Amino acid sequence: MSLRLNINGEDRLSASDPLTPLVDVLRDEFFLTGAKVVCREGFCGACTVLLDGRPVMSCLMPVGLADGCAVLTVESLALDGVLSPLQRAMEQHDAVQCGMCFPGMLMSLTSFLERNPNPTREDIKAALVGNICRCTGYERIVDAAVSLASSS
Amino acid sequence: MTDAQRFYVARSLPDALAALADRGRAGAPLAGATWIMRAPIRRERQQGLSYVAISKIGELRNVEILDHEIRIGACVTHAELATSLASLPECRALAQAAGGSANPAVRQVATVGGNLCATKFAAADLVPALICLRAELDLETPRGSERIAVERFLAVRSNMEPDCLLRRVVIPRAARRSVHVRLPLRKAGDYPVAIVSMAATLNSKGIVTDANVAVGAVEPEARRWTRLEADLVDHAIDPRRAAETAEKYSDDFQGRDGVEAPGWYRVKVLASLVRRAALAIQENV
Repeated sequence: MSLRLNINGEDRLSASDPLTPLVDVLRDEFFLTGAKVVCREGFCGACTVLLDGRPVMSCLMPVGLADGCAVLTVESLALDGVLSPLQRAMEQHDAVQCGMCFPGMLMSLTSFLERNPNPTREDIKAALVGNICRCTGYERIVDAAVSLASSS
Repeated sequence: MTDAQRFYVARSLPDALAALADRGRAGAPLAGATWIMRAPIRRERQQGLSYVAISKIGELRNVEILDHEIRIGACVTHAELATSLASLPECRALAQAAGGSANPAVRQVATVGGNLCATKFAAADLVPALICLRAELDLETPRGSERIAVERFLAVRSNMEPDCLLRRVVIPRAARRSVHVRLPLRKAGDYPVAIVSMAATLNSKGIVTDANVAVGAVEPEARRWTRLEADLVDHAIDPRRAAETAEKYSDDFQGRDGVEAPGWYRVKVLASLVRRAALAIQENV
């Protein structure tokens, strides 16, 4: 059973079992290791990708349900090596520590800020409820997102 | 079994019913898949099951707001539900339940049908909200349709025929106030320790003429709190009095022990949640 996905703008075929979690297909078959495998139960958000523009936990998404869909991973953000505005804001605010949560944080925030260009600090925190960070205490991540929203 | 047999994407309701009938007890519907994909974490064996994916069926993704009822397709996601019901104060409990469950990414995928059909999921947010709104469910089989009350569905869902599919949720419209109050360990993002969903109809003098209170997450299955309901009727909504009554009747519940909270704690917090719910009903927010 061949599954068709558009991954980061590129049409790809997967021969994986349709019940394979999307995160495993992305990492093991397509070598897109940005999305991380951590909790495998949809709590931590380290595996967050965009599926047809919506943030989803790729650890809970059977690849068979992604057939025919557009998937965006963190690797899609820096086009031609140029950091996205969100990535630049995170760098400017020194918001990254170990990096494990960050791909998920970026994908959640990228989607959120596209749909909510003028969020409050509380709105941003609510959007990140499904992205857990053990290192940073979240505040610089939120600061970076607020600064980006303000500048827009 | 081939991949195509283990994972079949149905394109219509008759197609799904036929595929489920073919598979018998070895088959199961799959909507958002968030509960099913967590089976390994729950140490449940899912091997040998053949899934019929139903989330591509258009009619199962619809929300219809009619004069007398609201019809919600079984594959409507929590996020879609929260958005669709945002402008309907009478359904505030369900909108709040759908908009506050799990986390944003799970809400984009998890469905109302999945929340109802997930057996052994004590902390399902939508279930108590649907109970308090007196929801009914339309079930579909190759032999015909049936509408049953959500509480009846909870009692029989583990023993449904393999070719029986939950098609949609139906909520009767009424001039009522409702609210969904949940207590997670973190501010959000966790399974709630306890849930109180409350719906009340008030007359022109502010007296409660009808009340439905459903408790979730405390016991293995959500259910109504009938003694509390009876006490609320024929009185004005009074948060303090409601909390005192809840405290008095708290032994109506046997709290379940869980990794996130012991049973006694789940029961202990009920009075506080009832107070919050009654306050929200009183202030109509």
